[in-house]
Amino acid sequence: MGLGAIVVPGERYRSTPAAAPDNTNLLLSQPLAYLDIAGRSPVERTIERFVQADVDAVSVLQDEASFRGMKPTFASFEKVEFQTVPDPYPAIQRKMREFSRSGIEHSFVLIGNSYGETDLLDFFYFHREARQVATQAMNREGALDLWVVNSSKAQACDPHGVFADPKTIGSSYFIREYVNRLRQPCDLRRLAYDLLQRRCTARPSGREVKRGIWIDEGAEIHRSARIVAPAFIGRGARIMADTLITRNSSIEKNCCLNYGTVVEDSSVLQNTEIGICLDVCHAIANGNRLLNLQRDVVIEISDPTVMRFSLPGKPVAARGWARKFSLFGRHEQEQSAPAGLQPKTSPPVQHRLETNAIKR
Amino acid sequence: MSSNGPVIVMEAPEKLSHSEARAFLVELQPLLESDRPRIVLECSQLQHMDSAGIEMLLNCMGEAMKRDGDIKLASLSPASAAILELMRVDRLFEIFETAEEATRSFQAVAVPEAAPSLPWYSSGYGFADLKSAG
Repeated sequence: MGLGAIVVPGERYRSTPAAAPDNTNLLLSQPLAYLDIAGRSPVERTIERFVQADVDAVSVLQDEASFRGMKPTFASFEKVEFQTVPDPYPAIQRKMREFSRSGIEHSFVLIGNSYGETDLLDFFYFHREARQVATQAMNREGALDLWVVNSSKAQACDPHGVFADPKTIGSSYFIREYVNRLRQPCDLRRLAYDLLQRRCTARPSGREVKRGIWIDEGAEIHRSARIVAPAFIGRGARIMADTLITRNSSIEKNCCLNYGTVVEDSSVLQNTEIGICLDVCHAIANGNRLLNLQRDVVIEISDPTVMRFSLPGKPVAARGWARKFSLFGRHEQEQSAPAGLQPKTSPPVQHRLETNAIKR
Repeated sequence: MSSNGPVIVMEAPEKLSHSEARAFLVELQPLLESDRPRIVLECSQLQHMDSAGIEMLLNCMGEAMKRDGDIKLASLSPASAAILELMRVDRLFEIFETAEEATRSFQAVAVPEAAPSLPWYSSGYGFADLKSAG
């Protein structure tokens, strides 16, 4: 008896819409489940859980509207098939038909961005004993968009009805373990916090170089940068001199933090470059946009010397912002920062982690 | 301590980028050139601000302080507050919830006058007082 899994990331197809309008579209251009948090995206972590549960085939169905030309990479999983579809529900039914033909009788179906850490096999056994077409998972906050579906029986039903009709679903499976519904960007930040605080079983990727400090392969950290645990530095990130990363902050892959910047209780999403001497606090930074979680506001920075999408090997020039300090500095210089605030002219001695290759 | 002139409350525009900052500075300049300029910038409409805008604010504050005055910010919108915080400029300005609070803050602060006969290091108690207290 085989097991399959169908994953449909994105908010649009969830059975229960988000409670309040959020800042997701203002801040992000792709589903929350595709964004790396502590090194890996929630959808990647979910797929890994399916693979660990000996699922025979995993299919990721992405609707064209939320796809927006970016293909997520699931290179590490051989069993995963990625498809872009105009409407996921008929695609789910087609996929279940395919599964049924190839001897896969039951499928896990995950719709939306939720990340949960339940025992999938226990969920499956519960469904099998309940003898129903579909079994929905739920936790103390209510129903989750995670089902186990009998592939052959579900084909006879209306594709939307299978996941909406309580008669089809029957009794639900209660999840006691960690669940994050990832409805809004603040949930993304909560996931980073939970990963770093070990509130869930998943861990940040890379190597834990000190208690609570995870650094992924290829990260370059200047000797004078200060990292206070717990924190995560992603693959290929560059942390320049005199920066401070503290209070459960995560710096994702290919990010760059320039001289003197402080990142506190924040997540800097992948490929983001932060300029010199800035304070990123209680925020999510993505390219030139920043969501301040305390004030619940998204700001767009037009000045590329402050924040921008990072270009490999090109740190933000120390111009512009250097001038603001000249008002108060003793060395009045119009185009450069005071001596004490200038980046050191000698080439920085970097702690290159490539020399100690991290093997996962 | 008393004030010499009135406190002026000005409303900041919705956007403070290069061109808007320059236009706003033209409005602000005559006030800055007065003796002890005391200006409250009401920023509830301010939504967009770039480095030129912040630089203008810092320059104005510098000018005001040179003339023994000050510029205070009031009613910051969440966006402008987030920008100031990101740029570490929030700690350079006095920021108030409302323009009225900012205006009141310019008023005289009552400083208790020390007795002229006592030196600055004196507690004001005489030796006899201490003995009677004991």
